[in-house]
Amino acid sequence: MRSSDSHLRTFPYPIVETVLGNGLRVAVVPTDSPGIAAHYVVVRTGSRNEVEPGLTGFAHFFEHMMFRGTPRFSPEAYNDVLKRLGADGNAFTTDDWTCYHVTASSSALDTVMDLESDRFMNLAYEVEAFQKEARAVLGEYNKNYSIPINALLEKLQDTAYVAHTYKHTTMGFLRDIETMPQQYDYSLRFFTRWYRPDNAALVVVGDVDPEAVFGLARRRWEAWRAGAATLVTPVEPEQDAERVAHVPWSTPTLPLIALAFHAPAFDAEDVRGRALDVLAQAEFAPTGRTYNDLVLDKQWVDWMWAGVEDHRDPTLFLLVARVKETERVGDVRAALQSALSRAGTETLSPDRLSAVTSRLRYAFLGGLQTPDQVAMAVSNALQLTGGTTAIDASYRTLARVSAADVMTTASAVFREGNRTVVTLTP
Amino acid sequence: MKTILLPSKGAPLVSIRLLFSTGAVHDPVGREGLSALTGGLMVEGGAGGLSFREILDALYPMAAGIGVQVDREVSVIQGTVHRDHLDAYYDLVRRVVLEPRFDAADFERLREDQVNAITAGLRASDDEGLGKETLNAVIHEGGPYGRPVDGTVRGLTAVTRDDVVRFRRERFTRDRAIAAIAGDVPDRFVARVESDLGSLPSGGPDPARVPEARMPEGIELTVVTKPCRAWAISIGHPIAVTRADDDFYPLFLAGSYFGEHRTFNGVLMNKMRSERGLNYGDYAYVENFVQDGTSTFPLPNTPRRAQAFSIWIRPVAPAHAHFAIRQAMRELRRLVEDGLTREAFEETRAFLLSYSRLWAQTPSRRLGYALDGAFYGRRSLIDELADRLPRLDVGQVNAAIRRHLRADSAFVAVVADPEGAPEFVDRFVTDAPSPIVYDTETKPEVLAEDGEVAVFPLRTSRASARILPAESMFEGDGSDGGG
Repeated sequence: MRSSDSHLRTFPYPIVETVLGNGLRVAVVPTDSPGIAAHYVVVRTGSRNEVEPGLTGFAHFFEHMMFRGTPRFSPEAYNDVLKRLGADGNAFTTDDWTCYHVTASSSALDTVMDLESDRFMNLAYEVEAFQKEARAVLGEYNKNYSIPINALLEKLQDTAYVAHTYKHTTMGFLRDIETMPQQYDYSLRFFTRWYRPDNAALVVVGDVDPEAVFGLARRRWEAWRAGAATLVTPVEPEQDAERVAHVPWSTPTLPLIALAFHAPAFDAEDVRGRALDVLAQAEFAPTGRTYNDLVLDKQWVDWMWAGVEDHRDPTLFLLVARVKETERVGDVRAALQSALSRAGTETLSPDRLSAVTSRLRYAFLGGLQTPDQVAMAVSNALQLTGGTTAIDASYRTLARVSAADVMTTASAVFREGNRTVVTLTP
Repeated sequence: MKTILLPSKGAPLVSIRLLFSTGAVHDPVGREGLSALTGGLMVEGGAGGLSFREILDALYPMAAGIGVQVDREVSVIQGTVHRDHLDAYYDLVRRVVLEPRFDAADFERLREDQVNAITAGLRASDDEGLGKETLNAVIHEGGPYGRPVDGTVRGLTAVTRDDVVRFRRERFTRDRAIAAIAGDVPDRFVARVESDLGSLPSGGPDPARVPEARMPEGIELTVVTKPCRAWAISIGHPIAVTRADDDFYPLFLAGSYFGEHRTFNGVLMNKMRSERGLNYGDYAYVENFVQDGTSTFPLPNTPRRAQAFSIWIRPVAPAHAHFAIRQAMRELRRLVEDGLTREAFEETRAFLLSYSRLWAQTPSRRLGYALDGAFYGRRSLIDELADRLPRLDVGQVNAAIRRHLRADSAFVAVVADPEGAPEFVDRFVTDAPSPIVYDTETKPEVLAEDGEVAVFPLRTSRASARILPAESMFEGDGSDGGG
């Protein structure tokens, strides 16, 4: 167990940790949230793990199956307990991880832990429930399908990657979702491979005492048996030429354009990742030069977003803009590319650099108001690195990003041969 | 004007909500969307010697923003800032409220964005939102609740900058204002806010007419067509109660039992998703409900003087649409006829008493709930539930259900693809059977119940069914149900 050092810290709360005998890391964060506790289970498995052909989307589907009961708690019994507690519980899956979260009264923590640990050890469901849930997942794909940005990003990942599992979205390819009902046996293998304490972590945040939480965790979680499989993700070969793709859209939506560049995996000590964060803010967020030019002055674009999503494996720097007129897509593309090239040759002013780092830091702190928000920040560090020190480390790295770092990183990343461009137009 | 204070000693953040009792209900005829554009332009049109860009520059290092939320009845200017920046931040808020500039270029930008939100957003790429706004449109046909807050394409096209200036002067007045502040703030700060709002023009309550709603005759079907691979469905009818009424609270409990938003508590969710895999989710509401971001909690400050009961069926395969509507209506009939058991009542009550406490975890949301309480002349919904639910019994809940929910009449809005819509409507209005065929294993008891659902009678007629192309919705030219 350790308490984090109080110096050089950005994260405003103590994080108290222990590791159980089975390898499950438990992180507890006491906050001033009277009577409330958030219980987050981090499984370090996501669509990144879907290396077998025909089984894309399975990590997300499996997240649904985790609600389908155990011998002790049927799905109805599980829900009845949460209902009586008045808990807010759900789950989500991303490229890299799956999260199961319950927020309830802090006095109910042991009940929540009993319920949650039971399904991670004793999950059991019938073929019928499995197949019905597969169709609920198809329903989820269908509800997302009318939203153009989802279609754009699906095409973007499919185009930018050739080998790595980031080629498909977390929802998976439609053709694989449609055949999910036939994969019952595979689902049992998926569970035994990845749902293991040595591939997971537990985060508890709120009105709690760390020692008491550790006691509960030992009682409820220690019986979970270690033995996670080893994942070998395919290595993405270096891109050598620009890739371009297009998504036609059948209703009169606004055109979208996405530019993506391969970028480094998350590493809290790697100045390149934070330099790209700074650049995305400095240039494309509100107050940025390109934002002012395209959104406020020329009014060609009504929305734009840029950034690197932190990932365990090498990822993408992504720049997306929604364009007001189809005829302007070419001009917007030229303006975005020119801004990215300029980033490799011009330095940011000291004032701008300091405004951006201040912004990123205060925005992070302002987003830690509730136990859920705090638990998300800690869980994200755990899924990325297996530990929690990355939170403060990444802000220390941010503080030492120089204008030269931004320029060097930009010129290395924003090369034409490293670029994927996808457009969506009506 | 009034002030609501939620002091919190030592809290690092300060949250402010400045509420004005005005919104889309005050849009003049032919200028639908004016209130939303006015609110948007107050925070994005420059103020007090600063352009919008200069305001953004000033806010940037604070990592704070000045947001606006315009709804049917109220408009709220809001933000949260670190205590370190309070004075500089409030100086900007004050300018936005007292000295908005409405710069011409920002006017054009925001008006275009708002038109696009209807034409390229709602109508083209938000099938579930379109289904809900269509339901609103038929329940409140011709009235200000019957169109999106963004207005109509024609209304927005007619709006001028002068309209915006006038609307702000006449509607954002001191008599309509409530200041709500949470955090560790000095008394002189509160006095400053009060004095600033007190310097606004006067202009008393000028209640817009209470929005009318029509009770459907049997099942009235509106199908909105656009290309889509799955069909979004909303069902509902007006009800006579709001949070201001005692009957609202037992009805609220019934709504949670029948279809609590995004949980597996509800009857609909279990029957339609868990047992049959029809779609991603099925929920029910006894008042207007907007989800706050990606959380499961309701967005505060969307109050209404007239409410509706509604069912939200998330997109289903076209072949299952008729079955899904039948099943929802059949479950509604069972709710109205049988009510809740004592056990279901006890469980739902226990759930709501604890769950509702999670709705106000941030100071800003607490302010939102306090303001909604003021709107209805009640305490916050959370406090009302804490006080009233322990005194309720199952008989009161079931009586409220029978008084306010109709089992045989509803408006049904479906967003469907143009190819499949005519045949669907033909089968629907003739009440043809809708047997369901699964490509998955199904429990025998579910199949047995399906046989009953497939022929469950719906009181439909061809005269009360219509098909409208999505492009006509909220155009504002009289060709649709949306004003």
